[in-house]
Parts: sequence; C-alpha cells; structure tokens
Amino acid sequence: MSDGLVQILDGNTFVVSNTNGDIEASLTDPTGLFSFDTRFLSTWVLTLNGERLNPLSVDDLQYFETRFFLVPGTGTVYIDAKLSVIRRRAVGDGFHEELTILNHHDAHVDLVVRIDAGCDFADLFEVKDALAKKGKYYARVESGRLRLGYQRERFTRETLISASAPARVDKGGLTFKTRIEPHGSWTTDLDVVTASGAGGTYVRPKYARGTRRARPSMELSLEKWVADAPRLECDHDELRATYRRSLVDLAALRFSPPIAGGRSLPAAGLPWFMTMFGRDSIFTSLQALPFTPELAATTLQALGDWQGSRVDDFRDEDPGRILHEMRYGEMTAFEERPHSPYYGCADATPLYVVLLDEYERWTGDRRLVRELEPQARAALAWIDEYADLMGTGYVWYQRRNEKTGLENQCWKDSWDSISYRDGTLPGFPRATCELQGYAYDAKVRGARLARLVWKDPDLADKLEKDAADLKRRFNRDFWVSDGEYFALALDTEGKQVDALASNNGHLLWSGIVDKAKAKAVSEHLMGPRLYSGWGVRTLAEGEGRYNPIGYHVGTVWPFDNSFIAWGLRRYGFKEEAAQVASGILDAAEFFAGRLPEAFGGYGRSVTKYPVQYPTACSPQAWSTGTPLLLLRTMLGLEPAGEHLVVDPALPMGIGHLELLDIPGRWGRIDAFGRGRVLTDTKAKSVRRRRSSGGGRSTREVRR
Amino acid sequence: MTDPTAEFFEELGTRGSEPLLRRSTGTVRFDLSNGKRTERWLVAIRKGDLAVSRRNVRADCVVSADKALFDDIVTGKTHAVAAALRDELNLEGDVRLVVALQRLFPGPARSRRRRRATTSTRGKK
Repeated sequence: MSDGLVQILDGNTFVVSNTNGDIEASLTDPTGLFSFDTRFLSTWVLTLNGERLNPLSVDDLQYFETRFFLVPGTGTVYIDAKLSVIRRRAVGDGFHEELTILNHHDAHVDLVVRIDAGCDFADLFEVKDALAKKGKYYARVESGRLRLGYQRERFTRETLISASAPARVDKGGLTFKTRIEPHGSWTTDLDVVTASGAGGTYVRPKYARGTRRARPSMELSLEKWVADAPRLECDHDELRATYRRSLVDLAALRFSPPIAGGRSLPAAGLPWFMTMFGRDSIFTSLQALPFTPELAATTLQALGDWQGSRVDDFRDEDPGRILHEMRYGEMTAFEERPHSPYYGCADATPLYVVLLDEYERWTGDRRLVRELEPQARAALAWIDEYADLMGTGYVWYQRRNEKTGLENQCWKDSWDSISYRDGTLPGFPRATCELQGYAYDAKVRGARLARLVWKDPDLADKLEKDAADLKRRFNRDFWVSDGEYFALALDTEGKQVDALASNNGHLLWSGIVDKAKAKAVSEHLMGPRLYSGWGVRTLAEGEGRYNPIGYHVGTVWPFDNSFIAWGLRRYGFKEEAAQVASGILDAAEFFAGRLPEAFGGYGRSVTKYPVQYPTACSPQAWSTGTPLLLLRTMLGLEPAGEHLVVDPALPMGIGHLELLDIPGRWGRIDAFGRGRVLTDTKAKSVRRRRSSGGGRSTREVRR
Repeated sequence: MTDPTAEFFEELGTRGSEPLLRRSTGTVRFDLSNGKRTERWLVAIRKGDLAVSRRNVRADCVVSADKALFDDIVTGKTHAVAAALRDELNLEGDVRLVVALQRLFPGPARSRRRRRATTSTRGKK
C-alpha cells in the first residue's frame, strides 16, 4: 500500500483515503472512490463544528472494509478528547459508511456534523497523467440526497449520496445538526452509489444499512476461498504466514469482468490494475493452478471471449490475438486510449495455449478444452500468420498504434529493457528470446491437446514438426557462443541483441533449450552476475544498461524468479531451483509475506535486506502468485496422467512441510517434504487421502 | 439507397453457423431508431448456429442505438465497444452475447494487415 493511504476494494471498485478516512483528491492525487476506471468521489471530508479529525487508529478489518477511530483536534495533540468518532466503511457498488460519534463527557454537546462531497469524475489515465476534462459537471439536490454528475456527449457518470439521519443537503455536501446526551452517541449511515449511463439504474451498496448484522458476502467468500485451497503445515512460521497472505491477497485481486457471469479471474494489481490483463492474468493463473484451478478456467474463458477477430491498427488487434489490457473509462470510451480492449502484447497469445494445456493436465477438464478449441487454434494460427513480422519463423513485435500503443510488447515493457551488451537499443521489430520459448511450448502443448482432445492427429504432427524446427533454429540463432547463453533478442538484421538477462530462465521453463546447453544457462542464472542472493536479476551485472534499481534492467522480480525456478526444475536442477525459492521466500519475510512487484538488484551481502522498488501497486497479482508457484517447484509437484508426482527438493531451514488437499484430476492429494539439506529428496512421500476423516470432506473431481 | 445494417444482418442470416459464436447460446434483439421509427433485428444463436429475423419478441439481450451509429459499426467506421462505453449503445440483459457478436463486426478499413515490417535502423544509445 502507498504510504499513509488506506485502500479497500471490491472487484474493480475501490476507495483510497487518508488515514482519517477523508478523501481530498486533486487531478494528480490518487485518492478517491474508483469504479470501472473512473473516479466517482474526489472530495469526502468530515468535520465536527468546523474542525477536522485526527486518526487514533485504523483497523483494516478486511480488504473490503476499514474502521477509522478518530478524535477532533489539530496536530498531534488531543488532550482530554471529549468526543470520539468511528467511521466504518465497506466498499461494493460504491461504498457504505457508518458514522458514529460518542460523547464521553458528563454534559451534552451540540454538534454540526458536515460532510463535504464532490467529484471530478477523472479517468484513471487522467489521474496518472494529469489531463484536463472535456465534458460538463452538474450537481443536484433531490429529496434528501445529492446527485453529482458528469456528462460528455452521451457519456454520463453519476454519484448519488444519501444518509439515514435527517440532513440538510446542498450541492457541496451534507450537514447534520444534533445534540448528543452525556455518555450518549449519535450515528448515521451514508450511502455513496455509482451509476453509468443517463438514467442509469442505481443499486444500494452491498453492505448497506439494515443489513448490519449480516456478514458481508465477500467475507464469507473469503473464508470459503481460504478453506478450499490446500492447507500448508510446516515448521516454518514465516512461510505459513506468507502462504496465508498470498491466498488472502489473491482473493482481493479476484476480478469479475462484466461478462464472466459472476466468476472471477486474477486482475493484475491493486488498486490501479484491477482489470483484465492477458499476460498477468495468465501468469497468475499458472502460478495458482495447483491451489485454485478455477482462476485458470475463468481466465481462459474471458480472454477467449475477447480474442481478437479483425485487423485494427489503433488497438493493435489481429485475428486470434489475446488481449493485453481492458479499460472502461472516459478516455477509452472516446478513443483517446486504445484499451477497448488493447491487444498490443506478443506473449499472451502463445501463453494462452500453454495455460489451456497446463489446466487440462491438472484438472482433466476436457470439456473446457473442447469448448475452447476454436480459440486455441486461432491463437496457434496467430503465431505463424501474424506474429512473424519478418518472415523468419520467429515471433516479432512492433506496434502499429504509434501514438498510444506499447513499444515493448513483452513482459519487460519499459523503453530500455531490450539492449545489446554495450547498452545500445535495437530497432523494431524485435524478436525477444522468451517469446520464441513460449511459441515453442504452445506448439508442443497444442499438439498434445490436438491429439488427445480435439482428435486431430494431422494438426498434432504439424505442430510437433514446427516446434522441433523452431527449437533447432532457435538454439542456432540465439545462442551467444562466446558467452554460452541465449541472446535477449534478435534485431531486424538477424543479429543477436546480446545482453545477458533473466529471460534465459523462462527459456528453461518453456523447454526450448537443448539439453547440452542447459547446464551453462543454469550456471549463468545462479552465477554472480545474475544471482543477487535474493533472486535472479532482470539484467546481468556488467551489462551496459545494468542498474540495480532500473525497472527491467537490474531489479529482481519475484514473479520472474518463480518461473525461473520452474524452468530449473524442468531441466533437473533441483538444488538451483530450491536456492531461487529460498532467496525469494526469505525476501518475502521482509515484506510481511507480501512480495513487491520488484526489489533492488543489490547483492544480498551488501544490503542485508531486499530494497523495495518504489511502485504504487501492491499487491501485484503475479508477485502474490509467486510463493504458490515456489511451493509447487519445491515440492516438485507434476501431474502425470491421473496422478500427481511429488518429488521434493526443499531448501535447508524450511524443515518439515506438508501441503494437504491439493485439488486436481486425482481428487485431493497430500504432499510431504523435508528440507534437512538443500537437496534432500529422501523424505518424499505421497499419500492418497482417505475419505473424510477429520471434518474436511475429500472431494473427488473425476470426470 | 444502401442499407449497411440490413446487408449485415441479411448476410449473417445466410452463414448458418459461425465458429466464433460456438460458445454462445441466446437471443439478441437490436432496436435501431432513426428518431421516427425503430427497426428491429433478432439474432438467435444456438452454439454458433445463427438465425436472423425481424421478430419483435423478448430477447436475452437488447441493444438499443441510433440506426446511423449502427450503420457505422457494421461498416467498421465506429468501434462497438467504445460506443457502448460512451453510452451511445445501450445494453440490457446478458452482455456476454454482445461481446461474442461484436467480434463479427469488421475492423476499420484503414487498418491493413502488416506483412513485413519496415526495417528500422539500429537505435539510439
């Protein structure tokens, strides 16, 4: 969370406020009530007799609910406070606030309670980029409630504010006059509801008055969510805490796109990225697959529903392409931004096929694989027909939307992420190495699905042949022979963009690396230039653009490392994978179990603690998913037919570890491991759970 | 005078089956108004099988828009999703059906599939 700000959210509706509960936003200040990428409240200030309030404490009750304890007064001195104030706020289709004032004095008090309210209806992009509005504002007082609105052509967004206690409403807020008896209290409920479209229908906030005793539905779903996930038992308290934090944060990051029929998929990050992202949603679903496979199912369906179907330069859309990012705000509506949705990424499309196959391997849900056959075929076709911009048999990217499209359409999407050793940047198009790995993996996995589920052996043969050919060419064209690693990219002349980067780990994950080259690659990943002691740096020390706090040119990304660990395991480097897991999980302890998006690439021996990269977005979905994937790699969980193979290689210091009730095509299975020494694999064991013994039911999820 | 909307729906009715809609089942009614009168098109989808008619019956999803706007949508001049976000296209009911159907609208005529990229020179430091 950003310093000094409090966030609560429900889907893509969220509130960011000061620690006293007030909202005082400017165009550039990121506080407010946000929904569907629009700010619906930018002023919300409480005063008692004209006096502002100071926070005594803030209870983050749930990720959708906060309680502020306040006292009147200025500065930090509140001697003999005679009044205290509790604001309890829950978000959901707007927000609901329960305001209570307690009089601790022996005499009555007369109070003027004032809520100033206002709204700038800023688009999230405007908040980030500080742009001016083009439409008209209005405010209306209607039978005891306040309607704030904004209109540009037919585009209309409104906020409706009402209270349970009698109030004098004006265009700038609500005023209550009350007398509180000695040791008495006064309370009112405040409802803030958002609406889109002229004459839009209004709904009450989810946790509105009258339902005070009912537990919010999201809390119930949170409890169920945590209970449904596998249980982690281990000697290592911090790991247990990290695991719990990951599950709770993942629950908070669930996002129900309006088209998903109430089901949810992981959004990219909180609060600014609570929307569908192709790449982030897919990576996070992959990480969480052994724990919460339903996220993958929704991700596949929702991204499939929005799969590109035409050529549209503004949106960088092609038939078969999987979207990059979806937005709902004013700038998207008026095509000042291309996110309706925007398709400019080169990795989500092959990764879509990878996720579909991995989902089937875990869940055995062939019905969905059959249902999504056209989508998967279109994605595979995109790789060959639209992504090969140079006609060289590789995946390339270059934006067609030169104004507001993305330059780098790979996960390292900052401007300087792809460079030669000397720091020079290549031109466009670019063929980064990990894209070739993903394409290879998509073809191999697509072939498996074609043979097994779609019953199309001809397609399977073709994909396998193409994959083998791609692997052969890749190992020839991308291999930097004097350095013994794979180049970061190829440039338009076919020359190697030869910096050493963490992308090599993703290549192991994809399986595109020749066995004979894998050892050298793993030695680079674990060597001093890439490995910091906490994790693998995005770019190796000594490269022209290396900077330990450069976004994609030297920092350590937990998500990146979780896939690197998976890749190391894939090629049999168990010790190295355990080392990567150990470093990242150690780092997590410094962030109370919530891994940041990235931290500094400084050597562990230099800083002793991981230096967080300043970022506004936390938790980040694929950082949240990282401990989950690391648990998978440490335990060596791998579906094999109808069974789950467990082959633990746990870092020293973790001790005994049990992951109980792992869901999949086998029903539920427990996995055990012991980390006495770094590579101890002797303690491995798999036990099939007997039918319900201890209150928790064992569910068979057979087809 | 040509009627792009009529052409679009009539062509749609001849397709029989549309692979892009294989996961969809339901009815969508388009209420298109020119200010004086409203013309209606009903698209019934059953796992990708399509039937188009002019019947005015209840549907799982109703799309209301100006006829002129819809003419622009079916000719690729206006983007349907952006228009919906601008509140120019009103949607009621099961929005998933419209998400599926909008994939059948053409892209802008200006957009051309890129075959080979222009070779750009090695970049700057």
